[in-house]
Amino acid sequence: MFKWKKESKSQEVFKAHSLYIDELKEQLKNELLYSDITFRHLKKNGNRIVFCFLESLIDKSSLDEFILAPIQNNEKIEWSVQGFTQVLPLSVLTVTNQLSEIISGLIEGNVYIYVEGDPYGLLTNLSKTVERGVEKPETESNVYGPKISFTESLVSNMNILRNNLKDPNLCMQDLVVGKRVKTKAKLVYIQGIADEELVTTFKQRISELEIDYVPGNTVLGHLIENNSWSVFPQLMTTELPDRISIALYRGKVAVLMDRSPDCLYGPTTFFSYFESTEDVYMRWNMGLFLRVLRLTALFLSVLLTPAYVAVLTYHYEVIPSPMLVTLGESRSKVPFPPVFETLLLEFVIELLREAGARLPTKVGQTIGIVGGIVIGQAAVQAGFTSNILIIMIALSALGSFTTPSYLMGTAIRMIRFPIIIIAGIWGGIGIMVAFCFFIIHLLRLETLGKPYLSPVYPLQWRDLGYSFFLVPYQYLAKRPQTNKPVDKERFSEKKAKLKKDIDE
Amino acid sequence: MEVNVKPRDGLQLHAFLLIFIVHSTQIGVGLVGLPRIVYLDAGHDGWISVFLAGVLGGVSLWFMVKMLGQYDSADLYGIHADVFGKWIGNFLSLMYMGYLAAAFFVIYINYIEIVQVWIFPNLPTWQLGLVLTLLSAYAVYGGIRVVVGTAFLSVMGTLWMVFVLFVPLKHSEINHIFPILDADIEQILKGAHNSSLSMMGMELVLFVYPYIKEKQKTQIFSQIGNAYTAFIFTLVTFVSIIYYAGGSLEQTIWPVISLFKIVRLPNLERFEIIAVSFWMLIIVPNLCIYLWAASKGFSRIFAGKQKWGLWILVSLIFVSSFFVKARYQMNLISDIIGKFGFYAAVCYPILLYFIVSAKNKYFRGKNNHAKGS
Repeated sequence: MFKWKKESKSQEVFKAHSLYIDELKEQLKNELLYSDITFRHLKKNGNRIVFCFLESLIDKSSLDEFILAPIQNNEKIEWSVQGFTQVLPLSVLTVTNQLSEIISGLIEGNVYIYVEGDPYGLLTNLSKTVERGVEKPETESNVYGPKISFTESLVSNMNILRNNLKDPNLCMQDLVVGKRVKTKAKLVYIQGIADEELVTTFKQRISELEIDYVPGNTVLGHLIENNSWSVFPQLMTTELPDRISIALYRGKVAVLMDRSPDCLYGPTTFFSYFESTEDVYMRWNMGLFLRVLRLTALFLSVLLTPAYVAVLTYHYEVIPSPMLVTLGESRSKVPFPPVFETLLLEFVIELLREAGARLPTKVGQTIGIVGGIVIGQAAVQAGFTSNILIIMIALSALGSFTTPSYLMGTAIRMIRFPIIIIAGIWGGIGIMVAFCFFIIHLLRLETLGKPYLSPVYPLQWRDLGYSFFLVPYQYLAKRPQTNKPVDKERFSEKKAKLKKDIDE
Repeated sequence: MEVNVKPRDGLQLHAFLLIFIVHSTQIGVGLVGLPRIVYLDAGHDGWISVFLAGVLGGVSLWFMVKMLGQYDSADLYGIHADVFGKWIGNFLSLMYMGYLAAAFFVIYINYIEIVQVWIFPNLPTWQLGLVLTLLSAYAVYGGIRVVVGTAFLSVMGTLWMVFVLFVPLKHSEINHIFPILDADIEQILKGAHNSSLSMMGMELVLFVYPYIKEKQKTQIFSQIGNAYTAFIFTLVTFVSIIYYAGGSLEQTIWPVISLFKIVRLPNLERFEIIAVSFWMLIIVPNLCIYLWAASKGFSRIFAGKQKWGLWILVSLIFVSSFFVKARYQMNLISDIIGKFGFYAAVCYPILLYFIVSAKNKYFRGKNNHAKGS
């Protein structure tokens, strides 16, 4: 039975439409139920032409100008496919009679031109897409660097990338994402730098997706990840074209998808989520400072509040006595155990963040002030929390916001909650249990078949200069080994390290 | 059973990781009580004993790698099968698996005891036991890559602890070690022998060897790992001996943890609590690697799945932790495993080396170097 179904499907695919216009109209209407399909007729000497299109998708003025006008004005030409190709001022014309091809063409904004009785008709693209102009990046804003971001249009995104990288080896392979809704996508990489295996892995994972509809590149990323249970994102999306340009020359592979304002790329290891493009534009030592700051913030953000809980619940002997007095005073009015106190305040911070993110920008700022000052101050005075905890919570929230990737920042904030709870149960031992668990978990993760913790483990000395620390340019002669680039050298290392003698 | 293991490309490890494998396996709970144990035998010459134990470990390691070098890419299970045949070989492999599991058990039970004594007196053994076994099972599930990764990160993450030793050094009295060589040879050797529980770990090379990419570098890197361990152990013993007055070292069961007590930062005191918690990072790779090697036996000897072996071992170990209740039982077990470990990790590989060499010499004509049999 299954086989029979398959056969009937394949028969359906190769089906020519009817030669009579009225029947053709019926066929099209049956396939495109309740759509805005429109027909325009012309008659001459008993010959009839029909133009079929979806009204909402095509540019009507070009229809008038490039199709109707030439046909109506040229009295002499023969009304047939050959005749039309002579007069229509359009670069791409497709000859077809397949119903399925016409349907998918119409959906993409094509016009189908058919003369009654002819074996074939003409399909031509007059689509008009609604898109916004190129704007400044909003979610990943930078102080330095180009102020341009991707938009929803695949063509303009490709245009930006091609203009950034005028390199004949820049490849953009066609991909189709989704089974019902076939979204166009492009696999972008540099031939001769990107690892062939990486390109195939990426392509294979996308083309093997058996899903009806993929709403965007972020979702595509979730769908092709190795481990979908983990909180940590394993493929990164960005709205910055320059970030992609830099990544491509480090041997990474990117995916652009139509109607998606961000670009997916990989392999992205754990530490690459703490890279900002700004680090590249800064002088290396400032960049290094910022990078180290962010990694410190990561540890503070994850471990500070759990440490507070652990110390105050079980190990208060760890705190020197002068400090213990202040802490005790500050906590003397608080009736809850530290775990509850901390969870409560963390919850408030998360609420503030979420409310700020959901509301329009102007209101969002007010919410921040209301939350920060009023709730914080009032909570302390009401004896809900201690002052010191407020400082810690603020520090750890700030720490998590320094992460350039919003997804990774959210992951960091999320893992804090289980750590706080386990710190409330087992103190320092609990924190270490959680710490060991996350280390093992991160070691187990992979991004497109590459180890997630690279370049720290497996250790790649040279890559540390890219993702963990920053070093002066002359030491970055080799592309990151993690991506296994084909062309390993960016420039000649020997030349870069040549040193002149004194007074030479 | 195949004598040689041919892991696929992605599973192969760089030889330099052997430093971390060997070192992180050797460092463990044993170190915590080591200075006292050698002090009981060798007095203030204990650090010489520890150093000797390190040298002895190096010698044994040398023989191990030499023995492994006679094969393409074999592990101990394969060598057993090759040398002793199916039945005896598998029996010996099973014994060794038992030893590995027991080593896991000793580390695990000792660490839980330390936690109970220093931080949570009322913490039931099974709770922390369950978490530790599950953690190590989770790591072993990820395969050799993850297991070695934990070893690597643990060594990197605990490097700073060495520098903490400078703090007690300020309060110490160097005259405590004089006169050098006060103890006689027999006492020093006895101390060296008794520190073998802490020195165990280099035998894991016998199991990791097939996964090393550049096999000719195995010797040098595993020796570096062992030397580093010997250095740290000797240093720790040395510092303990000059820090504690003679009598108090005898009475301090975990002198190394007590060493941390003196550390004082502007915002932290009683550093030993942090040290005991942090010690878990040292323990976990230990547990993982023993569990990995032991469970590997299931797929090598019985041609079963390593996963099943892993769960059998984990549940056995977890259940047996219920039977250890008192301190003296734990001491007894640690002593037995320590003695056994001395023979299994130090003496047995040397013996096996001679058997393998003799066999290869004898059969060279017939069997072409015992490769691929």
